[in-house]
Amino acid sequence: MGRTQLEILFGLILVSIAVLIIIFVGFNEEDRMVEEAHSQHGEAIEVGAELFETNCSGCHGIKGEGIPGLAPALSDAHFFTGRVQEVGWEGTLEDYIISTVSVGRTVSTRPELYVGGGKPAMPAWSQQFGGPLRDDQVQNLADFILNWEATALGEVELAELPPPTPGAEEAADPVVRGQQVYSAAGCAGCHAIEGISNGVVGPGLTQIGSVAATRVDGVSAEDYIRNSILNPNAFVVEGYQSNVMPQNYGQQLSNQELDDLLEFLLAQE
Amino acid sequence: MIKNLSIQDLRSRGQELLDERVRAITAGLGLKELRAVLRGDPATERPNPRYRVHITSFLFHIRPRYYEKASTWFTHTFRLGYLSTLFFLIEIITGVILMIYYVPSPTGAYGSILELQSRIPFGSLLRDLHRLGAEAMVAFVALHMLRTYLTGSYKKERSFTWLTGVVLLLVTLFLSFSGYLLPWDQLAYWAVTIGTSMAESAPILGNEVNLLLRGAPDIGAGGLLRFYLLHVVFVPLLGILVLSIHYYKVSREHGISLPARIEEGDIPKEAKKDATQRIDYLPNLMTHEIFLACLVIFAIVVMAATFYNAPLEHHADPQKTPLDTKAPWYFLWIQGLLKLGDPALMGIVIPTLVFALLFAVPYIDRNPYRMMSRRPVAVALGLLFVVAVLVFSYMGTPQWGIETPAAVRIVQDLAPEEGIGPLRAIPYDQLQPGVYEVGVTDPTTLPSDLGLVFVEFEEQVQEAEEAGALPDAQAVMVIEDWQADLKKVTPRIVWTDPESEEQKTYEKHIFLHLDRRRGE
Repeated sequence: MGRTQLEILFGLILVSIAVLIIIFVGFNEEDRMVEEAHSQHGEAIEVGAELFETNCSGCHGIKGEGIPGLAPALSDAHFFTGRVQEVGWEGTLEDYIISTVSVGRTVSTRPELYVGGGKPAMPAWSQQFGGPLRDDQVQNLADFILNWEATALGEVELAELPPPTPGAEEAADPVVRGQQVYSAAGCAGCHAIEGISNGVVGPGLTQIGSVAATRVDGVSAEDYIRNSILNPNAFVVEGYQSNVMPQNYGQQLSNQELDDLLEFLLAQE
Repeated sequence: MIKNLSIQDLRSRGQELLDERVRAITAGLGLKELRAVLRGDPATERPNPRYRVHITSFLFHIRPRYYEKASTWFTHTFRLGYLSTLFFLIEIITGVILMIYYVPSPTGAYGSILELQSRIPFGSLLRDLHRLGAEAMVAFVALHMLRTYLTGSYKKERSFTWLTGVVLLLVTLFLSFSGYLLPWDQLAYWAVTIGTSMAESAPILGNEVNLLLRGAPDIGAGGLLRFYLLHVVFVPLLGILVLSIHYYKVSREHGISLPARIEEGDIPKEAKKDATQRIDYLPNLMTHEIFLACLVIFAIVVMAATFYNAPLEHHADPQKTPLDTKAPWYFLWIQGLLKLGDPALMGIVIPTLVFALLFAVPYIDRNPYRMMSRRPVAVALGLLFVVAVLVFSYMGTPQWGIETPAAVRIVQDLAPEEGIGPLRAIPYDQLQPGVYEVGVTDPTTLPSDLGLVFVEFEEQVQEAEEAGALPDAQAVMVIEDWQADLKKVTPRIVWTDPESEEQKTYEKHIFLHLDRRRGE
């Protein structure tokens, strides 16, 4: 065979194999697309988990357990079984989550549960309504929150970590421990400290360590802060309302936690 | 009448009819002749009907009737120009199909790529083919230029052809780069932000050019639409126009160059005569071209269907600068230059000079000879240029010259922001919840893959500790059950900062879902 014939032969063979491969790919497309959709959904949940941690956990709790007096739980059975009916929402739970996250809420649906009568209840998060998140991020958040269903309804049990994470307990520095209290107790949800949190409900605390001493004559910075945590209405910063900050931190925090939180706040100068 | 009708008559009448149809379609080749063409046999009729085709058929008319034998030697051209054109064609075909599914807006683009991959049959394959073809096209165009340079095929009457070739190189680079932006993922957004900000730093009209490209001070909806239109309409049209000129000059004006040693070397007369004898385009060269096309289609289909996956990172986020920004490989040399100094000089002035130099090559090099031995300076400079591009490209990789804090680097290597990385590759069921401390936990007690990754983590921390980057390092990896089918992994490194003597902590929260793909 001459070169031309060889080229015709191999050309035909190669193209036939290419066509066979494409047909083979075609047979697997259904499965591949399902798998791809699952993978994308899994990734959406991963992204949603990160977004939840940075944006939502301050008020709704690290694991969506809610913070009494501040924001409701999103990972309990009620949220998945009764919430939609409770508010009279006609769409799906997913739509409800997306709509609430996007638009926020000016008035709480259960004002009696929240300090300050739940006003304002929740800021808008979608960029369309002045929030920081894109719509695809809101969707990722919804995917993540919906993924609590299995554990909320008791279908799946999660393994608990044997000891609490080191670092959380073992940090030697009270300021470091205090910062953990600051985020765990939900302070971060309402107060802003530059580089740490950006809540807007309560006064900013970026320089509280130095400002605190000047607030009330004759009261030291330490006493002022301690007093403001335990009895928030004792002194309300101008421009903010009383009865907004929960008044039960005295019961919620241990003495050690309160001291650590104090050290942390005093260090904000 | 029926009596006169025999099978033989019917058959020959049928053949005549068929022959006529075939002649009409092939613009002059009969059935018998067509067979001879496909078999590589000599012409069956006189005058040779194969020459007539070059006049009667448009597609053959734009192809030369013959080439000189030596110019078709494989080792002379490596068919690089033909292959570049072939990839351009593949890009147009796959690209037009992809246009059906693509939405050129920041809110829709990324979602449309996800849809393409998960809801459109062959969507993923198509994207892989388009991406692979783009990379190959850049590579072949660049190699084509290198070949032309080394064989000295840009001289005299070919100098303008060289010039159009450099324009085509720019067209190819811009096509590839503008396609980069379209998926609107992190990779796209930051590569193009860097690219257009180089334009911004240009001395005179930088700001205006940048505004024209981006449509706004920052790249957004306007910029995406502009890049899309440039990518699918303007630049391809420009490419087709310049390619036509380039090709016309090669096929009609001066032909493919002969190897230099045939043209000007000291070779026997018979050898020269043999090397310059005419080879008809029909049938041998056409068969060869179609064969190459088959080979290319086979190769990219195999690659796209097996290991190659067009990358897609997370949704573009202007607020989140990626840790490792990486230019496409063909622009790594510019990124390498940028690390050396002023962006206006390194990002604009020098690349402009480089391309100006490429344009000017035939006009600077007045040496009439083409053989390498007669133009040692030109060849040495060319090779130096290639080496320089390779060195600068290496300097452009994220590994070179960028100091990432040790703890951040270790965690980034463990679980990169984009892509898979060792941690994400661990099978989900091996991620058993627990607190694993470097130096305390025995890796052999862990499930195999997790153990290996943990050992890697351990080694990197210890290495950094020994190198003095992380004094008194303590490191843990915490794995928690977070939701149904979702785990949270927290690598945490605590060390004493050598300067301030303060204790520092770096940790990152990585979420891993069961369904997320764990391999490339």
